Amino acid sequence: MISEIKDKTEFQAFTPEPIRVLSDEGEWVAPFELDLDEATLKRFYAEMVAARMLDEKFIILIRTGKTSFIAPHAGHEAAHVAIANAVQKGHDWLFPYYRDGGLWLAMGTPPSEIFGQMLGNAADPAKGRQMPSHPGSKPLNIFTACSAIASHIPPAAGAAISMKLRNTGQVVVCSFGDGATSEGDWHAGVNFAAVQGAPAVFVCENNRYAISVELTHQTASHTVADKAHSYGIPGYRVDGMDVLASYYVLKDVVERARAVHGTALVELEVYRYGPHSSADDDSRYRPKAEVEAAKQRDPIIRLRKFLERQGWWNETAETELRAGIAHDLNTALEQAEAAGEAPAEWMFEDVLSSRPWHLEEQRRLVLEELR
Amino acid sequence: MPTLTMIGAINAALSEEMSRDERVVLFGEDVAKRGGVFLATEGLQQKFGPDRVLDSPLSEAAIIGAAVGMAAHGLRPVAEVQFADYVFPGIDQLFSQAAKLRYRSGGQFTAPMVVRMPTGGGVKGGHHHSQSPEAHFAHTGGLKVVVVSTPYDTKGLLKSAIRDDDPVIFMEPKRLYRAVKEDVPGDDYLIPIGKAAVRREGRDITLVSYGGSMVETLKAAEEMAVAGINPEVIDLRSVMPWDKEAVLNSVAKTGRLLMISEAPHTASIASEVAATVSEELFDQLYAPAIRVTGFDIPYPYAQDKLYMPTVTRILNTAKRVLDY
Ligand SMILES: Cc1ncc(C[n+]2csc(CCOP(=O)(O)OP(=O)(O)O)c2C)c(N)n1
Repeated sequence: MISEIKDKTEFQAFTPEPIRVLSDEGEWVAPFELDLDEATLKRFYAEMVAARMLDEKFIILIRTGKTSFIAPHAGHEAAHVAIANAVQKGHDWLFPYYRDGGLWLAMGTPPSEIFGQMLGNAADPAKGRQMPSHPGSKPLNIFTACSAIASHIPPAAGAAISMKLRNTGQVVVCSFGDGATSEGDWHAGVNFAAVQGAPAVFVCENNRYAISVELTHQTASHTVADKAHSYGIPGYRVDGMDVLASYYVLKDVVERARAVHGTALVELEVYRYGPHSSADDDSRYRPKAEVEAAKQRDPIIRLRKFLERQGWWNETAETELRAGIAHDLNTALEQAEAAGEAPAEWMFEDVLSSRPWHLEEQRRLVLEELR
Repeated sequence: MPTLTMIGAINAALSEEMSRDERVVLFGEDVAKRGGVFLATEGLQQKFGPDRVLDSPLSEAAIIGAAVGMAAHGLRPVAEVQFADYVFPGIDQLFSQAAKLRYRSGGQFTAPMVVRMPTGGGVKGGHHHSQSPEAHFAHTGGLKVVVVSTPYDTKGLLKSAIRDDDPVIFMEPKRLYRAVKEDVPGDDYLIPIGKAAVRREGRDITLVSYGGSMVETLKAAEEMAVAGINPEVIDLRSVMPWDKEAVLNSVAKTGRLLMISEAPHTASIASEVAATVSEELFDQLYAPAIRVTGFDIPYPYAQDKLYMPTVTRILNTAKRVLDY
């Protein structure tokens, strides 16, 4: 059982309080010493700022009518950056969900591809097939997102079982929201992975809401991590707006999953600042004051305060960083927009490995109509 | 008389039925506090309290399965599945439990319940906010399936569904939710499940459709009329059981059938209607019964409008039928 192996940081499963490394004020509160260098911490910071700025760009895309849907991820940045840095990029496999915008970016997905997917145009490697906020990347081992909540949990278990059978030394990290834990597929997938001892780390980005449904209406469990008890795997409860706590726990759990073929559940306590999606009005179900209170735990401000305390960050560095990211995102968006619409005939590709007569007939019908 | 959108008509029907019969309860994802993601159930929790209008956990299996148990025990549950595309995690409950309860218990247990769901494309929703899965339901013995297209019908049919003693799948084309307003009587009226409506009388060709595709079908009919062709237009309204008599009467008169639906082509309601007309009216047809449908592919995001039968596609195909 991986929960029985003690590591240097001595993270315990099923803690009554979320595991934290930084206080809201950015003070070091962990019982161990910092062992990450300045460059690494600055990278975490830069990736979180980029994630936030990507979210802001998404909001502009929806306001200007360039896309039809967004799932805002502001408030989830620490979770995204921690996952991306805890895995071996391009080796391990990720099974993310629609609110993982910052994760795709931190994994190294070219921003022009992300924007192509948001526009559903010819710049999208998935050919404009899915609604926005649902990317994926074969080269990066990022399993293409599926809207159907928790439908990716059993496939994540299956990939991890394959990794064990084929002894590839890979790990699956599968992320989802708190609402997802109510679906039957969630339980079916976690149970199968656990009973096989598959190297899968299931990460709940718990923002306490599934659209309007508050966590207390979703589950009678005290925490999401508690659910791990039922499957005989460790469950870690972590402050998911603390990028260092999230990183340390995930890194540790991912490496142990790799070493001993073990399954684990990690609950990252986050908060979504924006509405559920561009189709939502969150004022219908939660008070503004609650949103403002959550922002006091902001992951970006928190790390910045820590960096400043260490003497590693200042206003000049901040201005430079933001200007650089803004430039990169703007260039990527221009590049994506220049690709133009996804051609009509693409709709009949990739249905099956080849095109049988009926799809050929249907394709011809559409092309004739367009002529 | 109030003028209502389809959303307003759903809300009115639910509210009236809940006032009439205290066994009627509502639940689903986001239906209570938020009033539904499309606001179909807005204000109902305030009106009828948290015991009769509740937010369920995020599980369609729990929603549909619990409705079966509630119904068997004596309630009249109206469950909401947030999008028809998300019925699939609940399909086992729908097919194994709801559809077969009456039959497998020899009529001892029944599941008088309604499962409402927004359906269909045209809203740039991609794979999972666009599908039209009615054929799956119709293909499973033991369910009734309604697909509405007007606010007036919506109120009358939803009330019938709630009073029906069988499980009824109530499909609401989301692109029509707020598309039109029409007069909807404030009093109690019912539209029977299984009865079609003639939307336009004509004698040259019968256009049969239902749900969201009624919009393009009626537009195409208008264009035909301008060109001197006189089409009859039938809205099925219920697809299981569907109104065979209404369709056969019309085709017996026109001798031509064009069946229009945005659901995928193969093994569809459109196929069923076309096959029945061919079987029963073969010697009265001037042309083969033809289908204009969606395609046998996952619903694409980028070609959202192209997937559904366009007015052009309906007119081109109608021309083939008329020139045959
Ligand atoms: C099977 C299924 N049912 C319903 C939906 C509609 N839906 C989309 S997101 C959502 C809430 C998800 O909440 P959660 O899992 O907590 O993730 P969050 O959006 O909060 O990040 C719902 C109900 C869906 N996508 N899939």
